Amino acid sequence: MPDRLSFFIPRESRVHSLNPLTKLALAFSLIILAFFGPGLFLPVALYFFVLVPLSLLGKVGKEFLQTSFRLLLPLFAFLFVMQSLFYPGGETVIFSFWIFSATSEGVVFAFRTATRILVMVSSFLLLLLTTHPSTLMNDLSRRGVPASLSYIITSTLQIIPQMQARAVTIQDAQRSRGLDTGGNLINRIRSLLPLVGPLVFSSLVDVEERAIAIEARAFTLPVKKTSLIDIPDSRGEAVLRWVMAALSLMTIGYRIWLSLN
Amino acid sequence: MNIEIKELVFAYPNGVLALEGVTVGIPTGSLVAIVGQNGAGKTTLVKHLNGLLRPTSGLVQIGDWDTRQRSVAELANRIGFIFQNPDDQLFCRTVKEEVQFGPRSLGFENDRIETLVEAALELTELHEKASQNPYDLSPAWRKMVALASILAMDTPIVVMDEPTTGQDAVSIERISRIVQSLHGSGKTVIAITHDIDFCAENFERMIVMRQGMVVLDGPIQEVVAEREMLASTYVEQPQITRLAKRLGFSTIVYKPDDFIRVLHDS
Ligand SMILES: Nc1ncnc2c1ncn2[C@@H]1O[C@H](COP(=O)(O)OP(=O)(O)OP(=O)(O)O)[C@@H](O)[C@H]1O
Ligand SMILES: [Mg+2]
Repeated sequence: MPDRLSFFIPRESRVHSLNPLTKLALAFSLIILAFFGPGLFLPVALYFFVLVPLSLLGKVGKEFLQTSFRLLLPLFAFLFVMQSLFYPGGETVIFSFWIFSATSEGVVFAFRTATRILVMVSSFLLLLLTTHPSTLMNDLSRRGVPASLSYIITSTLQIIPQMQARAVTIQDAQRSRGLDTGGNLINRIRSLLPLVGPLVFSSLVDVEERAIAIEARAFTLPVKKTSLIDIPDSRGEAVLRWVMAALSLMTIGYRIWLSLN
Repeated sequence: MNIEIKELVFAYPNGVLALEGVTVGIPTGSLVAIVGQNGAGKTTLVKHLNGLLRPTSGLVQIGDWDTRQRSVAELANRIGFIFQNPDDQLFCRTVKEEVQFGPRSLGFENDRIETLVEAALELTELHEKASQNPYDLSPAWRKMVALASILAMDTPIVVMDEPTTGQDAVSIERISRIVQSLHGSGKTVIAITHDIDFCAENFERMIVMRQGMVVLDGPIQEVVAEREMLASTYVEQPQITRLAKRLGFSTIVYKPDDFIRVLHDS
């Protein structure tokens, strides 16, 4: 079954083969840099000189740009309009019409917020495009994140595509018995009603069955588990992660130092 | 109502070529079994009959209808389709409602619905269970509910996907009776099955599929004789046929009654 909910695009690339934790660390440190780092243009620079090149290296450039634009353009438009017109305390008027006037403080604020969100969303997008959710979860639980937590996360990621598949099957069954699920809106809604019951019901049954299945495989046994799937990691990557952690700490330190002075 | 399948090719959206040019004609009143290994394309083929799948190329005709021009709901007037897994098919609160659902959707008169539902419950021996929730029944009985819910639609063609899988002997017996009764009232019955004995005892014609193609098609007695061809798609001859062969019978038998008759004669 295709998991339509995950963004993951299976390709061979240097970014795909990085350890998931490295990519996670990268995402977090880029976000910290974007939010706490110096300069108005740092987030844009991070986006164009780090994230975009990395997405190209990861052979997901097209999807990366497409998705980030599609997700963020409406938000940006909204932010710019709202903030440049209504930013409280804006004094430097750039232009005005009717009762509105755009202030440059507002524009700067909107720009700052928008670019930070851009970095935040797109660094996670890069992670998700190049990492299968279960690889990430496997790696995290191998490193000591409780298995039940990763179970909750992965099963939540899976439940929607599963329910979709289920809904299609049930609808097929209903259509096969003469229920017209196409056509006008009322028809469609009417045909959805009998669907809700079995859908919820069978999902609950699934959950219970899965719980029994993993229980039967000693899921809750309190021992240290070994991992079947070997997720490659290297010294180099570990060093890289430490560097990123240090950089993040320094950025936060810098921000605190600034606010103290 | 005749079924015409011509040069049917079907590829799933993910690119799997499940049918590679199937041509089959099934006249009114046929009793046809489709066999073949897992993934041979049996389910894919029958899902074309009621329009759940549409030909990538080729033609599927049910009577004078081209399935490409009809909705699944329309085709439900002509084809009753019993899913492999009854749980994919049941969604009502009681057995009775479940059985009524089909004829209601088809817009039958109340009297007719009542008669059809009664007959379907009778045939599947579900009378006492009519007010229970289908999900409280055992899988074998859920299968019966699925069957009843299709029988009540009174379609000229009934398609069953693996009706006997997971059923005990009593239940298989009951399914045999249902098949015979449908045949008796002049309907076409098409069943996919892995149960070659069930197939030999209840059907007249057999279609053998392998990797998206029909490799054998003919009267049961001819098809069961093709041991090598059957083996190539992991289908064994019926037990009784094998026994007869080991005993050195000169004729091919495929039903216990025939076996006994030949045994007496020799
Ligand atoms: N929804 C689907 N999407 C993609 N491929 C599919 C889908 N359903 C079936 N297939 C593939 O199509 C081929 C034929 O499948 P089909 O279900 O028709 O086989 P079958 O003969 O019914 O097998 P079985 O005896 O296991 O029921 C198989 O290779 C199968 O993997
Ligand atoms: Mg099948």
